[in-house]
Amino acid sequence: MSKEAILDRIRRNTLKRYDMPVLDSLHPLTYPDTLGRFIEAAIQSGSRIISLENGSTVNDILRREFPENARISSNLPGVEANINPDVTTSPAALDGIDAAVVQGTLGVAENGCIWIPQTMTNRAEMFIAETLVIILPANSVVNNMHEAYKRVKVSEKGYGAFISGPSKTADIAQVLVMGAQAARDVLIILT
Amino acid sequence: MSTSHNKKAGEFLKKGDYVSWHDDTFWSVRKKRDAISAEIPEWEQLRNLASQIKQHTLSHLDKYLVEFTDNLERNGVTVHWADDAGDFNRIVLDILRGEGVKKMVKSKSMLTEECGMNPYLEAHGIEVVETDLGERIIQLNKQRPSHIVMPAIHLNHNDVGELFEKELGTEKDNHDPTYLTYRARLSLRNEFLTADAGLTGANFGIASTGEIVVCTNEGNADMATACPPIHIAAIGLEKIIPDPESLAVFHRLLARSATGQPTTTFTSHFRKARPGGKMHVILVDNGRSSWLADEDHRSTLKCIRCGSCMNTCPVYRRSGGYSYSYFIPGPLGINLSMLRDPKRYADNVSACTLCLSCQGVCPVKVDNGDQIYKWRQKLDGLHRANPVKKMMCKGMKTGFANKHLYNFATSRLHYLNNLPEGLLDNRLNPWAYAHKMMKFPKRPFHSIIDSLEAEESYKNQKP
Repeated sequence: MSKEAILDRIRRNTLKRYDMPVLDSLHPLTYPDTLGRFIEAAIQSGSRIISLENGSTVNDILRREFPENARISSNLPGVEANINPDVTTSPAALDGIDAAVVQGTLGVAENGCIWIPQTMTNRAEMFIAETLVIILPANSVVNNMHEAYKRVKVSEKGYGAFISGPSKTADIAQVLVMGAQAARDVLIILT
Repeated sequence: MSTSHNKKAGEFLKKGDYVSWHDDTFWSVRKKRDAISAEIPEWEQLRNLASQIKQHTLSHLDKYLVEFTDNLERNGVTVHWADDAGDFNRIVLDILRGEGVKKMVKSKSMLTEECGMNPYLEAHGIEVVETDLGERIIQLNKQRPSHIVMPAIHLNHNDVGELFEKELGTEKDNHDPTYLTYRARLSLRNEFLTADAGLTGANFGIASTGEIVVCTNEGNADMATACPPIHIAAIGLEKIIPDPESLAVFHRLLARSATGQPTTTFTSHFRKARPGGKMHVILVDNGRSSWLADEDHRSTLKCIRCGSCMNTCPVYRRSGGYSYSYFIPGPLGINLSMLRDPKRYADNVSACTLCLSCQGVCPVKVDNGDQIYKWRQKLDGLHRANPVKKMMCKGMKTGFANKHLYNFATSRLHYLNNLPEGLLDNRLNPWAYAHKMMKFPKRPFHSIIDSLEAEESYKNQKP
């Protein structure tokens, strides 16, 4: 089929081969207060951040943030949710949910990104929820994308994303609006 | 003397206030890019590395494409290879027909624009819904993008408001961008949940892991792949990079260069179909493998589509995306159009002042301005050189090559000032187009310099 024809053409038209540069020659920017810089960048991207105080739990925060009858989706052990994305596998069934609670595994100080590997069967929860709640260990924050990409891995389920703040757009007259197609609000809980 | 760009730019410039808004908007994006890149001390080093990684990858595409494909197939992804646009469109249609798809949602992909996919699928009875807000707006308005990152930049909130009143039934005269965005969200939410397939482009393909990486601010690529069960990813051959460590370099450059943001809101990695779904990747050549052999213009393949060359371009900012005859405008679009079909698109090469600002901001160091210069040298060979300019060049060559002729002519040019105004100040004279004809000085510049220098040396001789 086309595969061999295209590869042949590429080989024929590759006249000179260039070496890969040495990436270790780069000494990228680091921050004296990595966590502080991360929090600043996350807020700038439109996220809200709460640090878990001694003795309080994620569920305490969820109870404070959302009304009693809120529809909350999560597959994380111990999180008080009333929808399980491993059981409710239809994306349409999640439409209009108030929140999805997911686990972030790494934060990036330079840009406020959080890596979220897919652990749930129905990953639509992450985007379809009005509020995306991300639980992130404070000691997981690294300086920059170089450190980040050395550590993160796409999960067995085949998907992972860096997310920084709510879905946004400026496509109408360059006016920034939060909440384009995915979550309109991001709440980070630092543990 | 005018090229089609020239004429369309003239139309654009009649729009008054909108022209300054367009110019100012892009200049402020350029300034945001400057400010945020200045925060990174290693910025120039990143640009060098990015350029070198691309140069390396493009000269080892055979190896990396095989590695990329093997990794995808190991994860159960079906990989297709498309020779050209027609091939690509047929592959997409075959997949959709095989799965009984009636409606497909898609995120932004310049590759599908390049191949004319939407009209092709629609002619074959498939409904295609753009889900990037800007792309959705121009789809409803039946237009093509006027910028690759900000596709609806040629419309203001009133234009969009009136369009949405008609198409989405929004409140009359409510043209508030927040309200309009919300109504588009509701409408698109319904499309995501009722579509049978989702198509994305790809910002990067990682060879070592077999991942498609898509960067968006809206999260629409994620909605389009998390809701319908089938994901089709369309990727140009040149988007392959070796590994995640390389991606870190490009990631740091992309959004900062594009919009002045430190990152896009979503950087999504797709390695396999989601549980219960199917994933197809279509690798598209459509000319790229031939361009590899073109020493002068190969570097265009390094482009990561950030749009910074358009944002900074003084011609793009003051002439708008629709003044170019190719679907990608600006310095990049000029070069891509010439690679695609130089005879057809030759009129675009006039849209450049050779200021080279585009090369100064390009995150992967594509030499857009230099390439436009080279294309101009080839116009005569393409029989697309302007005959008036050709004649003028011949005349200047004679005049400039002979010292005596030059001195004689320049010392007498000022007599032309005495001619009746209409004789020189008319549309036949390109120097008098859009402004008054200049006055020739009584003494030519080099003769003024000669006497100044003589005066100077006389002074220096004095004790």
